[in-house]
Amino acid sequence: MPLEYSITYSAENHYENLVENAIWQFLIIPEDSDNQSVKDVKFNNSLDSPVSYSENSQGFRTIRVTPGQPFKDISFTASFKLVKEQVNPFDFIPPQDPEKDYSTLESLEFRVDHDSYLRPTSYTTLPINSEPGFQWNREQDIFTNIQELNSWVYEYIKFTPGVTTVETTLEELFKHRKGVCQDFTHLFLALVRKHRIPARYVSGYLHQGSGYFGDSQMHAWAEVYIPRVGWVGFDPTNNLLVGSNHIKVAHGRDYSECSPLTGVLYTLGENRTSHAVQVACQQ
Amino acid sequence: MITQTNPIFSCYEYNDGLYDEVFNAQGETKELYETLFKLYCGHSIEDYMQLNNKAKSSFFNQGITFQVYGEKETKEKIFPFDLFPRIIGAKEWDHIESGALQRSRALNLFLWDIYHDKKILKDGIVPMDLIGSSANYLQAMIGVDPPGGIYNHVSGTDIIKHSDGEYYVLEDNIRCPSGVSYVVCNRTALKRALFGVFNHYRAHTVTNYAENLLEILQSVKPKGIDFPTCVVITPGMYNSAYYEHSYLAKAMGVELVEGRDLYVENDFVYMKTISGPQKVDVIYRRVDDLFMDPLEFRADSTLGVPGIFAAYRKGNVCLANAPGTGVADDKAVYTYMPQIIKYYLDEEPILNNVHTYHCSRPEELKYVLEHISELVVKPVDESGGYGISIGNKLTKEQIAEVREKIKKEPRKYIAQPIMSLSVHPTYIDESQSFEQRHVDLRTFTLLGDKKDFVLKGGLSRVALQKGNLVVNSSQGGGSKDTWVLKDN
Repeated sequence: MPLEYSITYSAENHYENLVENAIWQFLIIPEDSDNQSVKDVKFNNSLDSPVSYSENSQGFRTIRVTPGQPFKDISFTASFKLVKEQVNPFDFIPPQDPEKDYSTLESLEFRVDHDSYLRPTSYTTLPINSEPGFQWNREQDIFTNIQELNSWVYEYIKFTPGVTTVETTLEELFKHRKGVCQDFTHLFLALVRKHRIPARYVSGYLHQGSGYFGDSQMHAWAEVYIPRVGWVGFDPTNNLLVGSNHIKVAHGRDYSECSPLTGVLYTLGENRTSHAVQVACQQ
Repeated sequence: MITQTNPIFSCYEYNDGLYDEVFNAQGETKELYETLFKLYCGHSIEDYMQLNNKAKSSFFNQGITFQVYGEKETKEKIFPFDLFPRIIGAKEWDHIESGALQRSRALNLFLWDIYHDKKILKDGIVPMDLIGSSANYLQAMIGVDPPGGIYNHVSGTDIIKHSDGEYYVLEDNIRCPSGVSYVVCNRTALKRALFGVFNHYRAHTVTNYAENLLEILQSVKPKGIDFPTCVVITPGMYNSAYYEHSYLAKAMGVELVEGRDLYVENDFVYMKTISGPQKVDVIYRRVDDLFMDPLEFRADSTLGVPGIFAAYRKGNVCLANAPGTGVADDKAVYTYMPQIIKYYLDEEPILNNVHTYHCSRPEELKYVLEHISELVVKPVDESGGYGISIGNKLTKEQIAEVREKIKKEPRKYIAQPIMSLSVHPTYIDESQSFEQRHVDLRTFTLLGDKKDFVLKGGLSRVALQKGNLVVNSSQGGGSKDTWVLKDN
């Protein structure tokens, strides 16, 4: 049975000083894929500013807004309707020959093809000499190990909103072991990549009302490339395999490539005689 | 003829260890320069002092200046111009030209490959890690097809003549290579100062660069456009090469714009004009990759155009040079150039590469650390001659410093044998005489869709400090008019 989803996204911005010139880019439209099809996209802003659609560098759809007049307040609302196929996350042939898959990981061709998702980024760099303590078992296949890692990250970090920001590094995370979905995901990505397995950051929506973490904000999880299987979704924040409750928007190497809102603002400083221009980045 | 008898060359030292392009070891003038030398001997040193001062003020008055970054007080400087031209014979030039073109073509194929199929990486010819770890390898460019398949529309190749008389390439510049405006200005300045000397030589013109650049830009127009609108985008008047940006726009007859003059709507780029928006099709950009689009790259950039990268990705506008070319002019990639040329063109390199030690390889690192005094050590990711140390000019303490620096970040450094740049008579203010100074040559190669062009001439940069080997303008270098002779 296909599931129908309707999603609303809203954002409000207030600025102390009048903003003369700005542009926003939203990466919030669910992707169209094999098991997910978007039926309707509505987007409004309080200033009735012109809206246009484009794509980011990974080919995911973006919404752009350029207000034509100065403002102090602006709010955005988006609503999406989509249909999603029921997904059974275990619906693939379990790998029979772990040794073969481990050797695939080492082939030059595989490493070149997946280089982007094998390499640490600033968000997914493990602190030097860090020993997070997760033990990889070479006797087991890759999928089983990653499932265990998923649980391990879930146990290691305590879900705590407000402790971290979108700029938090793993080094800080290790100190307090508290965070939200992007922190869980970054740590998970770092550890998967450390074991020479491609992994990417996914942003999206989690179906509300299931009692999972991350249903009042945009959610983040990870996809791991398992040889002979392909990309498989893991949600370390909830210790889940990604299924029908996860509605994907975009993927990238880390948060920076999936940020739901990128804004470029040109606003006058407090001292109007200085004619200073400020550029602020709004996440 | 013994040249010491002439007063204008009274301080000229004939150093056996150096390759002099004008005089042989006995002090005799080489054939190519015989006529020129006689003509120059016909003037007194007072004439040269006067001409030199005139040339200086002419450059300043025309605003042909540049600025150096990182200095406390930024002020405009002129790029010193030398009155004694460099001459390259027709046959020798053919060699340089075909070599520069060969490199540019190979680099273009290399860029296509590493942003598409990555064959050279899968075949293990160039290490994946070298490319993947480069800050200039733009993930956003993977899979993007630039119009006409061209990445490095403009290449500046830095070439030297070593003491063995052979040409060697020191580096390829394929981001936003600058200097071509000086080539044209130097020609104009020399014609003003000593127009008579041009009657005795048949030198190729250099003023055809701009028209060829425009043709190249037009050749890479987006699909479905018959008459493309081209513009030059500059970071603005505080950029060190602003004079060049304005010169090229004017000489091509196109608009010079800054980021704020353009905007993107529905993935097309428009220029704001007094008669309304005008669609822009090809942009010769002199703004660095990461500043081009605050929505895609550096969000704090005020120099770029929000959304331009998505327009580029869709093929609605062409950027020249393409974003992400910087990965291939990395000094570490340079060392693979002979293999890159062979791999894509199945040809032997026409121009030599300087042997390079990679500090990222343990055994080569060991050699470098033990031989710093005999090597030039360069950071792989800096341009403009910054961060270079030349071994035989270092004190013991400095050598120890360099050693520590390399040990800390081996991947960041390469080392090469100290190349001896050829020398050329250069007018020196302080001694009021011509003296030997080191020169290099930057050539300019253009690649377009089914069209290419190499400027017959180039920028001969001269290190004005005695014995100095770094010729970059930001390091106090000057330049010479460079004549490429027509075949007789």
